[in-house]
This record gives sequence, C-alpha cells and structure tokens, in this order.
Amino acid sequence: MKKKSLLLICLIACLVLVLILVGCAGNKAGNNGAGNNDSNNSAGQNDSGDKKPLPDKDKIVLGGARSLTGPLAIQDQTCFGPVYRMWVDEVNARGGIYVKEYDKKLPIELKIYDDTSDMNTMINLLKKLMIEDKVDLLLAPISTGFLHAAAPIANEYGYVLIGAEGGAKELESMMASLPYFFSLLNYATHQAQPFVDMIAEAGIKSAAVIFIADQHGIEYSGALVPLLEMAGIRVEFSRSIPQGVQDVSALIEEAKAKNVEALLCCAYPDENFKVMSQCMESDYNPKVMVFGPGICLEVFHDIYGEATEGVMGWGAWNEKSSPEMADLAKRLIEHQGGVRNVDWWGQAIYYSGLQALEQAIEKAGTLDNSVLRDVLATETFDTVIGKLWFENGGVPAECYPGQVGQWQNGIFEVVAPSEKATAKPLIPKPAWPAQ
Amino acid sequence: MKKSKRIAKYIVPVVIVLVVVLMAAVPSFTDPYKVVLLRTILMFAILTLSWSLFSGTTGYTSLATAAFYGAGLYTTAYLGDKLPLPLIVVCGGIAAFVLALLMGAITLRLKGIYFSIFTLSSVELIKQILHWYEINIIGVRGHYVTRVNDVTVYYVLLVITVLLMLTIYLIKRSRYGLALSSIGSCEEAAAHIGVNVVGLKVLTYAISSFFIGMAGAIMATAMLYIDSYVAFDLNYSFFPTLMAIFGGLGNILGPLVGAAVFTYLREILITKYPYHYMLIFGTVMVLTILYLPSGLIGLAQNIWKKLTNPAPEKGLKTEGGKHADTSC
Amino acid sequence: MIAFINVLVNGLLLGGIYAITAMGLSLQYGVARILNIAHGEFIMVGAFLTFVLHTKLGINPLFGLAVAGPALFVVGYLIQRILFKTLKDRTPTPAAFEGSSMLMAFGILFMVQSIAIFIWGTNVQGYSYLAYSVYLGDIRFSVNRLVILVISVLICLLFYLFLTRTRAGKAIRAASQDPDAAGLMGVDINKMLALCFAFGAMMAGFAGMLISMVFPIYTTMGMQYTIIAIIVVVLGGLGSIPGSLIGGFLLGIFGAIVSAKDPGLNMAAYYLLFMVLLLVKPSGLFGR
Repeated sequence: MKKKSLLLICLIACLVLVLILVGCAGNKAGNNGAGNNDSNNSAGQNDSGDKKPLPDKDKIVLGGARSLTGPLAIQDQTCFGPVYRMWVDEVNARGGIYVKEYDKKLPIELKIYDDTSDMNTMINLLKKLMIEDKVDLLLAPISTGFLHAAAPIANEYGYVLIGAEGGAKELESMMASLPYFFSLLNYATHQAQPFVDMIAEAGIKSAAVIFIADQHGIEYSGALVPLLEMAGIRVEFSRSIPQGVQDVSALIEEAKAKNVEALLCCAYPDENFKVMSQCMESDYNPKVMVFGPGICLEVFHDIYGEATEGVMGWGAWNEKSSPEMADLAKRLIEHQGGVRNVDWWGQAIYYSGLQALEQAIEKAGTLDNSVLRDVLATETFDTVIGKLWFENGGVPAECYPGQVGQWQNGIFEVVAPSEKATAKPLIPKPAWPAQ
Repeated sequence: MKKSKRIAKYIVPVVIVLVVVLMAAVPSFTDPYKVVLLRTILMFAILTLSWSLFSGTTGYTSLATAAFYGAGLYTTAYLGDKLPLPLIVVCGGIAAFVLALLMGAITLRLKGIYFSIFTLSSVELIKQILHWYEINIIGVRGHYVTRVNDVTVYYVLLVITVLLMLTIYLIKRSRYGLALSSIGSCEEAAAHIGVNVVGLKVLTYAISSFFIGMAGAIMATAMLYIDSYVAFDLNYSFFPTLMAIFGGLGNILGPLVGAAVFTYLREILITKYPYHYMLIFGTVMVLTILYLPSGLIGLAQNIWKKLTNPAPEKGLKTEGGKHADTSC
Repeated sequence: MIAFINVLVNGLLLGGIYAITAMGLSLQYGVARILNIAHGEFIMVGAFLTFVLHTKLGINPLFGLAVAGPALFVVGYLIQRILFKTLKDRTPTPAAFEGSSMLMAFGILFMVQSIAIFIWGTNVQGYSYLAYSVYLGDIRFSVNRLVILVISVLICLLFYLFLTRTRAGKAIRAASQDPDAAGLMGVDINKMLALCFAFGAMMAGFAGMLISMVFPIYTTMGMQYTIIAIIVVVLGGLGSIPGSLIGGFLLGIFGAIVSAKDPGLNMAAYYLLFMVLLLVKPSGLFGR
C-alpha cells in the first residue's frame, strides 16, 4: 500500500514538474531576451541609467575574484596583488578619484573574493560581483585560462576588464567581439622577436626549448621556435613538461649532451626554478638561459644569489628604467613593510593599467563602464611606464618598458629591445659560482 | 515510534515535491545571481547523489567523480557547436557511462582503499594523457564553449536532479536495490545467494556516472573555456564525497542536504572571509566529523526521535545541535 | 649512453625523496588506518621550517633533521591523541573509521595550509644548497641528491631497526597486525597508534627538509607530494617500510626513463605504472 502511494506521489511530482517546465519553456524564450536586456540595462542603469536623480555615492567599489588559495595563489601574492592593494591605498590617501557626475572625490573600497583557483567558482563569483554586489569596477582574475573565461562574461554584463597576470595572443582574434576586454601584459610575440635578434647577434648557434604544457608554454614555444629557425639558430629539441613535474634532469642531460648554447624554458615559477636548480646540479652552463615567469621575481635572486648572474627572463623594468619606476619600486617595497618582493616584469605594467583606469574615470567623469570603455579604447594615458594606449584591445609593443631582462649584479636589467635597455646583454653568461 | 516513522515516510516525498516546485519557480522571482548559486548547488547535488547511489550503498568509495564530470565537460567541448543542447547533455551522460563501464570492468578485483586510490589516479591519468595528446599531437590549447544562459542551465540541472532522484528511489524500491545493499553489507554472502555481484556493481557504477556526465555536459556551457586541468580537477572527486558524508549517508536526503549546506557555507566563506576561508572551512569539517558522525541528516533524525519519543538519549545531541545551528 | 646512465643515476637519487615521502604515510595507514591526505601539508611544514632556519638564522639545512622532525612528531602525536583518537572512539566500525578519518585529514589539510599561508604567504621560496656535481669517471652525481639519498636510506634503515629490534617497535608491529590480541597482551594500543601517527608526521618533516634542499617550495605544494606518497605506498605495499624504500627507487628510475623518452608523459606514466600494478598485484610489491 505504502509503496504504491509513495510512487504515486512521486509520479505526481514529476507531472507537476513537467508542467512547470513546459510553462517555463514558453517563458524561457521570453525570459532569455528579457534576461539579456536586463543585464544590459543593469550595466547601464547601475551607473548612468537614471540620468537625473543620481543616487548619492560615497565610494567606488572595486571587486575581483582572485585566487587567494590553491595552486594559483602564488601569483596573487607576488604579481598583481601587492600592486592593486597599494594603488587602492594610494588613491584613498589622495582622497579618492574625482568623478565629475558626483562632483566629488570618491574613495575606493576593495571587495576581493577567493576563487580557490577553481574556474567554475571564479565565474560564479564574477557574476556575484556584477549582478548581486553591482560593483563599479572589476579586477581581472589570475592566469591566462581564467582570463579566457572571464573576458566574455565581463563583456556580456558590460564591465570593463583590464587583464593582469596572463594574456594570450590567441585572445587577440576574439578582441573584436570583446570590446570591454583590454589585455595588458606582453604577448609572446612582443618578446620573442627582440630576444631572438639579440641572441642571433651574439652568435648563438643552437637552442633547446622546454615548455610547460598549457597555453602559456604553447604560445611562447610557438612564437620562439619559428623565429629561432629563421635566424639560423638550430633548435635541437622543443619538449613539453607537465605541470608539477619533479625531475627535469633528463632534458638537461640531453641539452648538455648536444651542447646546446641557448636553453629556453617557457614555464611557471615552480618548474622554472626546478630547471634552474637542476642545471646547476648537472654542471650545465649554456651561454644563454631564458625563463618564463618567476625569474623576474626578486625572490629568484634571494634563492640563487650569485648564480643568477647572466640568467635572462621575460620582463622587464627596474629602478634604472625611469625615475617614475624607481619611485614605484620604492613605494612597492615600502607598502610591503620593507620586504623587497617585486615582480620586475609585470608590476609596473599592472600599475599602469590601474593608472589608465583612474585617468579614464577622471576623463569620462562617470563610472559608467560603457563610457569608460570608449575612453580606454581611444585615449592615451600618462602612466608610470610612460605613454600607454590600447590598440585592438592590447598594448602596443612600444609602450612596454622592456621585453627581455637579465640578472646582472643583483639587478634585473632590461637588455632588449636595445632602445629601452638599461644594460648591455651579458652573453655568454658567466660560469656557475664555485661551491 | 512506528507511527512517527510512517509520518516521516510521507513527509519526505511531500517535502521533496514542494522543494522541486519551489525551485522550478525560483528564476522567475529572484535576482539572477541566486540562480547562479542554486545552479552550483544543483550541480553538486547531482554529483553527490550519484556518488552516494554507488558508493553509499555498495561501500566502494569511488573517487573518480571528477573523471566522469570531466568526460561530460569534454563532450560539450568537442560537440558543443555540432549538436543541439539536449543531445549534447545525453551524449555527455553516455560518455561518462561508457567510461564508468570500462573503469568498473577493470577494477572488479579491487576492494576498499585500493579501489579508492585506483579511481583517484584514473582522474589524474586521464587528465595527463588528454593534456599531452592535445598539446603535442593535435596542438589544441583549450576549448571555447558556446554559451547557454544561466536559466536554461539551471532548468536542465533541475531536470537531471529530479530524474536522478526518481532513479535512486526506484532502484532502492526494487529487487535490484535490495541486491545492491546486500553487496554493501556482505559481498560474499550476496554472491552466495545468487546475486550477480559483478554485473550489478558495474551497472550501478555506470548508471550513477551517467548523471554525473550529464551534469558535466551542461555545466560546460556555463564555463565557457575548458582545458584538461580545469575539467579533471580532483576537487570534484573530493567534494561530493565530503558533501555526502557531511549530509549523512544511507538516506536520499543526506547527500542533497550535504551538497546544499556545504556549497552555501563555502560560498559565504569565500566571499565574506576570503582570507580565512580555509581555516574556518577546515575547522567546520573537523568538528562535523567529530560531533556529527552520521551527518546533518543523522542529527535531524536524532532530534526527530527525541521529539517524538522523549526517552532520554544522551550524548551527541546537545553538542551536535550547536554545530548544526552554525552550519545551517 | 653516458647521458642515459646519468639520467638513471638522477632518478635513483631522486628515489630517496620519494621513499621517505611515502614511508610516513605507509606507517600511518598501515598501522593507524588513517589515509592521511594531509601528509603533504606536514611535508610542506617541514620544508618551510628548514627553509626558515637556513635563510633567516643561517643554520645548515641538515640541522632541520633535529628541528623539523621532532616538531612534527609532537604535532602528529597531539593530532592523533586529540582528534583521531576521539574519532576512533566515536565510530562504530573500522571501515567507517577509514572513511571519516580521511575526511578529517582533509579538514586538517585545510587548517594546516591556511595557517602556513598566514605565516609564510603563498610565494615560491627556496634556497640553493650543494648544487654542484661530483664525477665518478664519466658518471655524474649531484651532491645534494647524493646527500638526500644517503640520509633517506639511513633513516629507513634506522627506522626499520627500530621496528624490528626494539620493544616499542615490536609493540607497534603487533598493534598493526592484530590490535585486539596485542591489546590483550598488554600493549597500550592507543599509545602505539599515536606513536605511529607521530612517527609518520616526523617522516614527513624529514621529507620536507630533504625536498627543500632540491626543489622550490610553496605553501600550496602539499597535495602533489601526498599523491606521490600514495603511489609509492601502494607500489611498495601498504605498511611495509622496505616496500616504501624500494617503491620510491622504482618510481624514481621509472620516471627518469620516461622523462628521457618524453617528459610530457612523465606524470601520466607514474599513474599508469601504478594503476597497472594495482590491477596485477593490489597488495603492492611487498604487501602482505
């Protein structure tokens, strides 16, 4: 008896559900459109929709889903994290950003959520920030992969998204459909050309490429290998390594056996440091060594000390690039309580991105993201790295303070392109320090 | 005692029906973000229910949930723009179904912890091989997925959840379900009384994975960008297991409540206390396992028992009640 | 050919780390029946303790043996006594205990990692120690890996002797084989379990110390070592100390050979090897 009645109830439930679904399916089409309109509206409305009686505002909310825990957390603490925190403090110390439509300076409030390095969580949190919290401005999430997912969403809800850690040439093809997304960091193609020119000039004959098996690695190896071959440099091998690999000594052994003159490692800090250590351990000292992110960090020099002499990495800026950048470095170190935790590749660029955003708000006189977007896309901004503007959603190569850096006497010198260089490239790199 | 049990038996389906009806109506009266949040809850509810359908009843702790989920995600990544949405969802389910059949057939000999470890490493193996294959052989760097709007995704997930619950209910009611739980209590004895242990296990594994795959296929459309590291994330193996234990095993409501409370708790922590999220989360987990060994549902049952049958049953209840308040 | 031999030697030297990483877990699971998912976090703590001692106070990393190990021993002992023992008393069956202890270990993982992030941040850290080579003919040995190998083999040996020769060791083995009978014979089971867990944590401390000497370290690195440890433990047989040692070396050499062919498949090969072994001989190479 009971069984039957229970089954009955369930079946009825099913029926009800199906009915509702059919009902909703009818609505859905309408809903869809409405939903989309809604989001468009809300983006506009939240800032400028109701033109006349602007709701009084006493702060600008800057929201972001950042990886504070999990594998990506390494980057928040060393790359963009210190920059946006310092920038917010600096702006607030000045009293805020002047926004014309409110005719006053508005301080910034940071609203940071932890996406735990999980893409699905990151997407949900971005939506929460945009739909529920209705933040005024958005910070980019960490890593190229996350940017790929975040850019279309921010675009859909009409929020300006200026990239931070990560950036992919691949996104460039989609830029036309992503008017609200601005890529900030150097593309692989920006950096590969000056690097290859430099080592070709120095007479390097052979190279080996180790790349991490993800977008970053593919993009860099994909940009470097053809250029190397065109410049007449023999590429002995180009191999991928998985994330979290422990032992890379087999690759180094192979490079050593083939007497490769330039070792190119396009990977992340963890793997780069392993390659570096294992080169030292195996007594392999190529004439040129260049690494991906991680080598540009001050902590790299803390770890390896003298052994960093002559090691190259992507980047770069330093205290010698310009007085403004020297000042930025000083402030960054001060803001972190005197700890010299500086990223000599990205931090000046991230800071410039925030400055561009600030100037865009002042020029636009509003927090309406659609207006901000137009200002960002068309105007030129005075930033710590000099003039900065966006072309086709990305930063043109000449804006960057440098493309390749090299550790020389404890300073990450800019060595390419030559017009921005702060020092002459040191090729071949000196021997490992004696133990 | 018996009376209360009977009432409980009627209450459960009624409550479920009400909740389902309510949830179906949600998108029309709440703000869009609630839908996004509920969507995540539903997704985890499906993973958790499917997990407990197999692991909860047979006692084999599977940690391959992420593999089936990833199989669903990848189905959409490859077929997303070629097929209509309902077909993709079913295809995702089938992909996971086949994978589970294979894995089930291979792992027949393994028991206990070995089964768990095997399934765990299968996730990593698939991730690594797929990654290597995509990078080195076909030179792909992740997939873009055609976007479907949140409300649609939400409804599809809701339908999957209801189907899954019906399936579980029917299985538990049938001879098939009885045979399953006999495996859980004593596999040798089950085999002796003529239960086709092997076939049953593999089939249940595959059926439960079918739903995980479907959930994965539809969730892919909300994620927009997929690569193998995103798709085969071990968290999606651990979380459903934790949620099920958190909610309480052995009852269809347990995993459901576990998934909902767990997801909501996590959401609050990562937004309100992003810098202390892990510490609080870890502490709650440790306290839960210490003081609520039979999960939230176990606690609710204890309270229910106490209410209907005021015979003193000391111990767990008072301490447990405190924690339930904080976590609900 | 020489290059290949060098690769093999490298793998063998690395095997020492794998072995000691796994040994602690093997002990914890083999005797205390706790699949300690937080094992990697203890390794991370050991690594950071050594790192701090070395870079801030200028103490030789090998001294970490005397600090990281005992510190984690105490932590492990307390965790077992306070948390896992309570849990064991509250769970009715051993099977239920296995499940819920894993869940609890997961909670501990979160707590330990969170505290570590408060203290040390999420930055990649490290130091360079003995990073040079010595040659034996044409064959090259990295000095730091050589040191690691020697230390890990020594620790294994000492611990093995402890288990087989001393009274406490015998009690531990008795507790692992038949807790009820051992209890009847007057072995204080709870104390033995706590000791085992503590020894496991101590091994993790040693492993962390050794890892910090060759690899970069960061607070979120734990899981990757937990997984390696699980692989090695199952490879060698749960609860078998010599099994862990040999499993570690096997994994090291196998990894090196695969890396020489295609490093991209390195991790995949680990899992494949391990899964095939599970199917062929689930109890591991040296399992009972």
